Amino acid sequence: MVIDKSNGAPGGGAGASPAGGGLYSDQHLRVSDAEREAATGRLAEHFAAGRLDQAEFDDRVGRAMSARTRADLNGLFADLPETGSPAVPELPRGGGSTPGGGPRGPGSPIEFRLDAASGVPTYLQLVQQVEHALRLGYLKPGDQLPKVRDVVASLAINPNTVLKAYKELETKGLTAGRPGQGTFIQATLSQVALPELTGLHKSLLGWLTTAEAAGLDQDGIVALFTSALRDFHERRGGTGDRRGAASAETEGVA
Amino acid sequence: MNVIETSGLGKRYGSTWVLHECTLAIPAGHVAALVGPNGAGKTTLLNLAVGLADPTAGAVTVLGGKPAGSPAALDSIAFVAQDTPLYKNLPAADMLHLTANLNRRFDQHFAEARLGELGIPLNRKAGKLSGGQQAQLALTVALARRPRLLVLDEPVAMLDPVARHDFMATVLTAAADDGVSVVLSSHVLAELERVADYLILLSRGRVQVAGEVEDLLASHRVLTGPAAEASKYAERPVVHVRRGQAQAHLLVRATVDDPVPPGWEAHPVGLEELTLAYLREPGAGALPGPARSRNTQPSEVTQ
Repeated sequence: MVIDKSNGAPGGGAGASPAGGGLYSDQHLRVSDAEREAATGRLAEHFAAGRLDQAEFDDRVGRAMSARTRADLNGLFADLPETGSPAVPELPRGGGSTPGGGPRGPGSPIEFRLDAASGVPTYLQLVQQVEHALRLGYLKPGDQLPKVRDVVASLAINPNTVLKAYKELETKGLTAGRPGQGTFIQATLSQVALPELTGLHKSLLGWLTTAEAAGLDQDGIVALFTSALRDFHERRGGTGDRRGAASAETEGVA
Repeated sequence: MNVIETSGLGKRYGSTWVLHECTLAIPAGHVAALVGPNGAGKTTLLNLAVGLADPTAGAVTVLGGKPAGSPAALDSIAFVAQDTPLYKNLPAADMLHLTANLNRRFDQHFAEARLGELGIPLNRKAGKLSGGQQAQLALTVALARRPRLLVLDEPVAMLDPVARHDFMATVLTAAADDGVSVVLSSHVLAELERVADYLILLSRGRVQVAGEVEDLLASHRVLTGPAAEASKYAERPVVHVRRGQAQAHLLVRATVDDPVPPGWEAHPVGLEELTLAYLREPGAGALPGPARSRNTQPSEVTQ
C-alpha cells in the first residue's frame, strides 16, 4: 500500500524530484526505466550504509524494477531515512571537496574542467570526464549531470558543444535525458566499489615504486603495463572479453 | 533562417573599398565568429548589418530577410560596439532607464537582476566601473532588449582574462537560455574554438572562409612528411605549407577518408591553426557555406 509521504520525504538521490515534494510526487504517474534505475541506485546507498540486509535489498530491487507507478517506488523507501543530497555521507563521493566547500544542493556530483592545451576537442573532454567519474565511482546511476546552461556559464563554452557531449553519452548508453529535468546517469562503468578501488590503487602504487627502483621511467612503465595487460587478456582468451556490459557498449559506439 | 545574409555587399570610403563583393549567409542558432586581419572589413560588415551604415553596393538583410536598419530589424537586434559605448556620466540605473525608454521592449527585471548577480551597484556612474563591469553593463543593456540576434564587435579585446571569461559566459548563457543567435568579431583566436561553432574569415574586404566549425575541421588535415616531397603532393588542395630543412607540414583540404601518401602522417587540425593558415594565405578560400546545399561536398577551393 501507499504510505503517505507528505513531508520529510527524501530529497531524491538525483535531485530529480520537484522541490518540496515527495521523493516522487504525482503518485499515480507511471515511472520510467530511468526512475527505476535511480531508485535502485538509492536502495544501493541504503544497502551500503547497512540499513538494508542482502535479502531486503534484493527484494526491494526486484520490486523497484517491476514498479509501475511512483507510488510503488515511494513505498520502497517508506521505512528508510532520507539519503539527503546526492552526496551520501558514508561515501567519499567527490563532492566532499566541492569547490567552495559548501554543502551541495540538488545538482550534479561532478564539475567539468577544460584543458585548452590537451588538444582534445572540448566535447570529447566532457565525455571523457563523465566516463572517468563513472569508472571511479564519483557518478552512479540516477545521478544528474550538470545542466547545460550551468556548464556553459561556468566554462564559457558554446552550448552546442555541451549538447554534443551529452548526446554522445546518451548514444553510448551511459545517460538518459529526462524532458524538463536534465540528463541522468543510467549505466555504470564502475566495476568495483570505491574501497576496493582504493586498495587496488594502493597496491599499484607499491608496484610502481618497485618498477621505478628497477630503473623504469614513465614511458617504460606504460609500455610494460600495456604489454602485460595485452598478455593477460590473450591468456584469458580473446580481447573481446572485457568485463561489464556498459564498457562493451562504449566500445561498440566509439 | 539566416540571421545575416549579404549579396554582393560593398562599402567604399572615398576611393577605397573596405568591403567588396561580400556574399555570405550566417544561419540562426549559432555563435558565429567573424575573424580577419585589421582592416579586413569586419567592423564595416557588422555596422552594415545593424544598420549603422548604408552599403555602397549590394544588399544586406537580417533575421530572415528583414532589410538591415528597418524598424522590424532594429527591434530584434542588439549591438554592442567595439568600445562598449555607455554614457560614462550616467549611473547604471539611468543607463537602464534610458534604454528602456528608447526601446519598444526592455526587460527591466532581467537587467536589474543581472546587475545584482554581477555585483554592479545601480547608483555607480558607468565611467567609474571597471572595464569588465562596463562591458557587462553594456551587454546587460543589450540582452535586456530580448534580441533574437546579438552582434558584438571585438567585445573582449580590452578585457583581462577573468572579465573575458565572465563576459563570454554571459553571452553563451543567453544563447543557451533563450536561443539568441550571436555574431561576434574577435582577434582572440585561442578562445574561438570553445566559443564559436560557425566561422567567417574576412580578408581584404572579401569572405575567405565560411562554414560550421565542425565541418571546417572535418574537411582539413595536416600532413607531415619529408620537405623534399612537399611540392609533389597534389592529391588534395593544399592551403598552406610550413617547411623546415627536412620536414614539412601541409594544411590540406582532406578528410579522414582521404589517402595519406606513404611516408606522411596525417593529423587533425585545430581551429586556431586552421584560421592562422588561412590568414597567412589570403588567396586560399574555403566556402562550403550555408548559402549552398548542406550536402555539397566542401571541396571547392580556389588556389
